[in-house]
Amino acid sequence: MTPGVVSTIVRKDLTEFRADRFFLVITALSVVFYPLVYWLLPSTVDETLRVGVVQNGLDPVLDALQESDGIELVVLDDEDELTDALLGSELDLVAGLVFPDDLLAAAAADEPVQVTLLVTADVPPDIESALEALASEVVLQVLGEPPPTQLLSEPVVLGDDQVGEQVSLREQLRPLMAFFVLMTETFALATLVAGEIQSRTVTAVLVTPATRADFLAAKGVVGTSVAFAEATLIMLLIGGFATGAPILLVTLLLGAALVTGVGMVAGAYGKDFMTVLFTSMLFLVPLMIPAFGALFPGTAAPWVRALPSYGFVQTVVEVSTQNAGWTEVAGYLALLLGWTIAAFATGWLILGRRMARL
Amino acid sequence: MRTVARILVKDLRLGPRSPVFLWAIALPVVFTFLIGAVFGDLFAPPPRLAVVDEGSSKVTAALLDAPGIEARVLGDVDEMRAAVEAHDYDAGLVLPAGLDDDLAADRPAAIEFVVSGQSLASTRLVLGVTTLEQLRGASGQADLVDVTVTTVGDEEWAPVDDRILPMIVIYAVMIAGLFLPASSLVEERERRTIDAMLVTPARMWEVLVAKGALGVLLAVLMGWVTLALNGAFAGQPAALTVFLVLGSIMMAELGLVLGCWAKDSNTLFSAVKGGGVLIIAPVLFTLFPGLPQWIATVFPTYYFLQPIYDLAVTGTRFSDHWLEAGVCVAICALLLPAVAAMGRRLEQQMAAAV
Repeated sequence: MTPGVVSTIVRKDLTEFRADRFFLVITALSVVFYPLVYWLLPSTVDETLRVGVVQNGLDPVLDALQESDGIELVVLDDEDELTDALLGSELDLVAGLVFPDDLLAAAAADEPVQVTLLVTADVPPDIESALEALASEVVLQVLGEPPPTQLLSEPVVLGDDQVGEQVSLREQLRPLMAFFVLMTETFALATLVAGEIQSRTVTAVLVTPATRADFLAAKGVVGTSVAFAEATLIMLLIGGFATGAPILLVTLLLGAALVTGVGMVAGAYGKDFMTVLFTSMLFLVPLMIPAFGALFPGTAAPWVRALPSYGFVQTVVEVSTQNAGWTEVAGYLALLLGWTIAAFATGWLILGRRMARL
Repeated sequence: MRTVARILVKDLRLGPRSPVFLWAIALPVVFTFLIGAVFGDLFAPPPRLAVVDEGSSKVTAALLDAPGIEARVLGDVDEMRAAVEAHDYDAGLVLPAGLDDDLAADRPAAIEFVVSGQSLASTRLVLGVTTLEQLRGASGQADLVDVTVTTVGDEEWAPVDDRILPMIVIYAVMIAGLFLPASSLVEERERRTIDAMLVTPARMWEVLVAKGALGVLLAVLMGWVTLALNGAFAGQPAALTVFLVLGSIMMAELGLVLGCWAKDSNTLFSAVKGGGVLIIAPVLFTLFPGLPQWIATVFPTYYFLQPIYDLAVTGTRFSDHWLEAGVCVAICALLLPAVAAMGRRLEQQMAAAV
């Protein structure tokens, strides 16, 4: 392999990239679109249910409830005021509870206490049923009915308690965005490679002193550097390097090399733009799954953890949302490195064979 | 029409070899899976409770049936604690052996309740009070209170996975209806097979009608598949089909205009990427009901997407959508001269290139 020859092919490829209108448009759109979406998404997580209450004489019970995390009670004068508040947006109420004035009298008469729960149509079912239960609980506490069970201890929090510091949707989407950017550049490389094969410029290049290894190395350098540059730019624009920048840069570099391997395979099989697109999608749709999976709470399924992009996604998630360091993400990085070597070697092998058949 | 049929049959025979054809078939299914599975739960994941029942309590059955939460029974306490710590569940509950006897005898029973550090405060509250309600229900205390739920305001609540339906439908109809005829035309121009076709008795309008018909057929088919996969026929397949056909014709006409205009695949892709937002814009207004809804009516695709959403989700009938059907027909009629003009332009360009 001759570095001078490789760099000449790299320069030629970069010039072709700049001349391609489609990829210029896509790249420009990505640079604008992803940061725009990111900054438009909410930066915080609202963990509190704001509930309007119309009541008389329930202050002690409601004050105790008010001290719990996750609920904020707003006392209003009457049902009409509560209805107006629910339909308006000023108090941001999720629902309202109307307790009767004659609560104790009803209980004394051995009749069920009537409580009204006012909800707007967009209240999710879990909140509605929980507030029904909450209303019952308030009444039962006023009536002096203790819970039929007692807790062995105060509820134990397992893991780091993140109440008040939850990961926002925009932060959850960060790995997805980084991976989408890398994906776009896979198409670019695959199209470039397929174009060279179809137009036989690859044979023209190989009658010069350039060897097949020079050609393949140049494609690897171009694909990795273009994908890495754009992903780094997008991560900069969405403030992705606030924590663990060196780890994230290494991760992006490995991710860029991973998708370059995929791009080389797709390019080798591609006959034209359409087949390149389709072949790339065959590889990239499964690779997108871990990035989507990061939006779900909990542990990923074993088959998701086996996908090549899992190490990339987990590293970005843990570094950018949990301030993880090199030690914590070493396993994921090793996994990513392994898959990157495998993908790159496969791309090199398949594209090399395709060139040999020309 | 015989020539149109022949071209259509040729495209149908050769179509499955084209990636766009396969893409048109695969993408709605993939989107249904990805969007339904991921986004359907993303914005409103139900609170998840892990239950360890050490004595076959009836409280477990009540929790499994409790509305608004997702409860699951796990084998032992260690498994439950590990799952809660990994945030596979928002909270975990251990019901001791003999709980039902204790509740029946009015004896206080001791339970263990753990929460995940990553669960929201409001989710912990929801799971806590729901658990308490089921325990009180099992001991007969809940009969002391009667909670009446009253809905205020007019807005009909639709879950996110219902609101996403127009997005999946538009992708199904757009790729098959718009993209397939457009890319087929562009591909034939790039390979110059259209030149060969036009030296036969086939005329340009027949080529365009055949390509458009293929797009409409596949778009309607994929629209049906999409609605079926999402369980959205709502007992009104005929009304939904009418709007699917109208939407598919509209998309196919746009596809033919684009296919005649674009000089190569890259230009076509750039145009679809750039202009696609105008086609899918109405979807955003269904997805986010808080946005001013009148803006959606500016976009032509609104007139078939909104009726499809209303018929499938909100239970309206075809008679509620005469106006939208009329506007759809008008848009399709207005696009016909544009298709004809672009066809003539293409013919002239090809003649000039010879």
